[in-house]
Amino acid sequence: MSSIFKRIKDKLADYRRPGYYKEFDYHWAIVVDIDRCNGCEACVVACYAENNIPVVGKKGCDDARIFNWIRIEKYIEGEYPDVRVKFIPIMCQQCDRAPCEIGCPVYATYHNQDGLNVQVYNRCVGTFTCATYCPYDVRRFNWFTYKPDKPLDEQLNPDVTVREMGVMEKCTFCIQRIRYAKDAAKDEERRVRDGEIKPACVQSCPTGALTFGDLKDPNSEVSRLARSRRRYRVFEELNADPSVIYLKRVMGNGKRSHD
Amino acid sequence: MGSDRTIEQIPYEDVNADVVRTMTETGRLYYIFLFLSMAGVVVLWGLPWAYQIYTGQGVTGLQTPAFWGIYLANFIFWIGISHSGTLLSAILFITQTPWRRSIYRSAEAMTFFSVMTASIFVFVHMGRPWNFYWTVPYPNQRGLWLNFMSPLMFDVFAISTYATSSMIFLYFGSIPDLAAVRDRVKGWRKEVYTVLSLGWRGTDAEWHWLTKAYTFFAVFIIPLAVSVHSIVSWDFALSKVPGLSKTIFAPYFVVGAIYSGSAGIVTLMIFLRRGLKIEKYITKTHFDKLGMLLVVMSLIWSYINVVEVFTGWYADTSFETESLRYRMFTPPFSYMYWLMIFTNTVMPLFLIFRKVRRSMAPALIISLGINVGMWIERYLIIATSLPRKFHPYMWNDYIPSLVEISITLGSFCFFTMMFLMFVKLWPSVSIYEVKEDIGIPFRTKKGHH
Amino acid sequence: MNPVLLGLYKYVDDMIDAAGRLRDSGYEVSILSPIPLGHEIEEALGEPKNHIRYFTFAGAICGFFFGIIFTLGTAAMYVLPRGGRPIFSATPTLLISYETSILIGVFFTLIGFFLMARLPYYKKRVYDPEVNVDSFGLLVDGIREDKYGEVERVLKEHGAKEVKRLEKE
Repeated sequence: MSSIFKRIKDKLADYRRPGYYKEFDYHWAIVVDIDRCNGCEACVVACYAENNIPVVGKKGCDDARIFNWIRIEKYIEGEYPDVRVKFIPIMCQQCDRAPCEIGCPVYATYHNQDGLNVQVYNRCVGTFTCATYCPYDVRRFNWFTYKPDKPLDEQLNPDVTVREMGVMEKCTFCIQRIRYAKDAAKDEERRVRDGEIKPACVQSCPTGALTFGDLKDPNSEVSRLARSRRRYRVFEELNADPSVIYLKRVMGNGKRSHD
Repeated sequence: MGSDRTIEQIPYEDVNADVVRTMTETGRLYYIFLFLSMAGVVVLWGLPWAYQIYTGQGVTGLQTPAFWGIYLANFIFWIGISHSGTLLSAILFITQTPWRRSIYRSAEAMTFFSVMTASIFVFVHMGRPWNFYWTVPYPNQRGLWLNFMSPLMFDVFAISTYATSSMIFLYFGSIPDLAAVRDRVKGWRKEVYTVLSLGWRGTDAEWHWLTKAYTFFAVFIIPLAVSVHSIVSWDFALSKVPGLSKTIFAPYFVVGAIYSGSAGIVTLMIFLRRGLKIEKYITKTHFDKLGMLLVVMSLIWSYINVVEVFTGWYADTSFETESLRYRMFTPPFSYMYWLMIFTNTVMPLFLIFRKVRRSMAPALIISLGINVGMWIERYLIIATSLPRKFHPYMWNDYIPSLVEISITLGSFCFFTMMFLMFVKLWPSVSIYEVKEDIGIPFRTKKGHH
Repeated sequence: MNPVLLGLYKYVDDMIDAAGRLRDSGYEVSILSPIPLGHEIEEALGEPKNHIRYFTFAGAICGFFFGIIFTLGTAAMYVLPRGGRPIFSATPTLLISYETSILIGVFFTLIGFFLMARLPYYKKRVYDPEVNVDSFGLLVDGIREDKYGEVERVLKEHGAKEVKRLEKE
C-alpha cells in the first residue's frame, strides 16, 4: 500500500516540475547568423518544396494569407542614398515555454520529447487560439482546401501530410528528416551525429547563415555558436524561451570592418 | 414595504387572465415579426454559414495576424448580454428587491437565449466545426482528452455550466406559473403544460421547498455569472498580445457585461410591455430603478476604461502605446472609439434626471446606444489588438467580409426569433411573484404587506 | 379512503387561524395557495426544516472533487507537456473544479427539491384550480365519519367562502 503512495508521490513530484521534458535526448535548435543573411529567400523556396506548402497566388498574398513557414522580414532604414536594409529570417521559434501550447483545448499542439513544438494536423479543430497567442506570427491557417494544379501534385513530398481546410500549421524544423535520422541512429545504436540532420532551409542557405543541431550536446556547432557574444533571441522579454538563436548583425559606420 | 410596491392594486384573478392572454391571443403583427426573424435566421445566418463551412474560413475577412474577428466580438457581446438576466435576478432575489418580480422572468429568458446565440458563435468561428465534439469532455477512443490548461477549455466548462444553471433557474421559478397556465388553457397546450408543471398543486410543503431550493440556485448563480465573464476575458488576458493581455480585463468584462445586459433588459422591456400590452405590470417605476442601475454601471465602466487607457499610456512601452494609438486615433477605429465613449459614458449621464428615466423614448435611445457602444467595445478589443502584434512586418488591417457581417445580423434575428417564441410558450411575467408584489390579502391589516 | 375537506378562503389570516385550530385538534392540515406564504405559516404553525441544504452541500463537495479528479486524471492519462507548465497545474484544476462544483451542486439541489416536494407527480390528486388564482385552500385530512359536520363548521366559522368535499384518488 505504501509503495503505491510513494509511486503517486513520485509521479506528482515529476508532473509538478516544469520543463521536465528537458531530460529527454535532444533539444533541437537553429542558430541564425544575421550577419550572413543576404535576404535571397532560398530558404523560403526550399521550405515550400519540402513541406508541401500551398502556393496561394497574388490574391492570397494580398489578403495576407501567404503560407511562408519561414519568412525574411525586411526593415529598411534611412533615405536614399544612405539606405540600409536589414533582413531577419523568422520561422517557428519552437519555444520551450510556448504560449501557443496552453491555448489549444484539444492538444493539437504540444511539446514533444525533443523539445520541439509540434502541430498535430488531425487533432486541430481550428480555434485560432494558438495563432493568436503566438508572439512571432509564424502560424499559418488553411483558409481553404488548396489543391495544387496538375501536374504539380506529382511533386508533393510523400513524407509530409497534405493539410485540409480548417487546420493550423507551422514550421516543424522538418520533423520528417529528424525522424529519419533518429531512426537510422537508433538502428546503429548511437546518438544522432552533429550535422547529420539538415532542415530544408538550412540545407539550401547559400551563405550558411542557418545552422541546425542539438543544444544538449555541448560540442555541437549550434552550441558553439550559441555561446557567441552576438547571441540574442527575438522578444526574449516575453519569456517564451525560444529555441531559435540569432547572432546579431554588426553594422559598422562604413569606416571600420566588422569584428 | 407598502411604499416599495411597483405596481398598482390588481385583482389576483386579472393577473392570471392577463398572463394567459399574452400567451394565447396573438395579433397579426406578431406573426409578421416571427416570420421576418425566421427568414432572417435562414437567409442571414444559415445560408452564409453553410457557404462558409463548405468553402472554408477563407470567406471571412480574417488573415494572418488577425485570426480573431467579428465572430469572437459577437460571442463576447452575447455572453455579456446574458449577464444581466440571471445575475440581476439572483442578486435582487437575495436582497428581496420588490421591483424584480415582474421583469425577472423575461430577463432570465434573455440570458438563456443569448447564451445560446453566443455558443453558436463558437462553432461559427471554428475552422473545422464538424469536429466540435472534440472539445466536449467525454471518454473517447481517439487517444486524446482535453487540455484543461487552455482558457478555451475553461470556457467550455463555464459556459455549459452557466447555460445549464440558468436554464434550470428559469424553469424552476416558472413551475407554479406553468401550473396556473395549465388550469386555464385547453387542447394541446393543456397537455404540454400538464407535463411541464410536474403536477404542481401549491401546497405549503411544495412552496417551502421551492423557495429554499430557489435561494440556493440564486446563491450559486451569482459567483457563477461572475466567473463566466472573467473566464471569457481570460481568453484574451492569458495571451501575450499587447492590447489583449491586461490584468484589468476580468473585472472590466464583468462590469461591461452587467452594463450591456441591463441596457438589454431596458430595451427588451420597452418592446415587451408595448407588444404584450402589459404596461400594468412593467411600470415606469421599473424603468426608474433600471435607469439608476445604468447610471451606476456606466460610471464604473467608464472608470475602468479610463484606468485601462491610463495604465497603458503611463507604462509607455512601445507595443502598448502603438495599440492605444491604433485604437484611439486611427480612423476608422478612432470614430468607433469616440462614438463608444459618447454612447457609454456621456449619454447615460442624462439618466440622472428622473424625468428621463421615466419616459420611454429617451430610455430606448440610451439603452440602444449603450448596446451599440458595448458591441463596439468588444469589436475594438479584438480588431485593434491582433493586427498590431509584435512584428511590425506582419501588421495588417482587419476588415470583416460580407459573410461575417451577415452572420452578425443573423444572430440578432436568431435572438429575436427565440424570444418571440418564448413569449408565446412561456408565462413571460411571473404570476405568483406579481401577486406577492400586489400584496397578500389579510382581513385585518397587520404585519407585512 | 375517506374524502377530504377543502375550505377556500379569501383572506390568509382567516385560513391560518382555521389551520392552527384544526391542527391543534389533531387533523392533518395542508395549505394550498397561489403564492408562497413562508412568513405567515412560520408564524402560525412553526418553521419547517430545510433539508435541501444537505443536498446542495453534498453536490458542491462532489462537484469539487469530481473537477479535481477529472482535471488531474486526464492530465495523468496523456502526459503531454505544453507551454513549459507542469502537468499537474494548480490554477486550471481549481478553476475547473469551481465550475463543476456549481454545476453538480445545482443538479443535486434540483434532485433534492424533487425528492422533498414529491414532484413530478402526474397521477390525480386533490386539487382545485381556484387555489392557483385567488383563493387560499385549507385541506383537512384524517377526519372520522362523524366529524365532517364539525370540521365544516370550523372552516365556515373562520370565514371560508366555500367548503368542498373531495374524494382522494
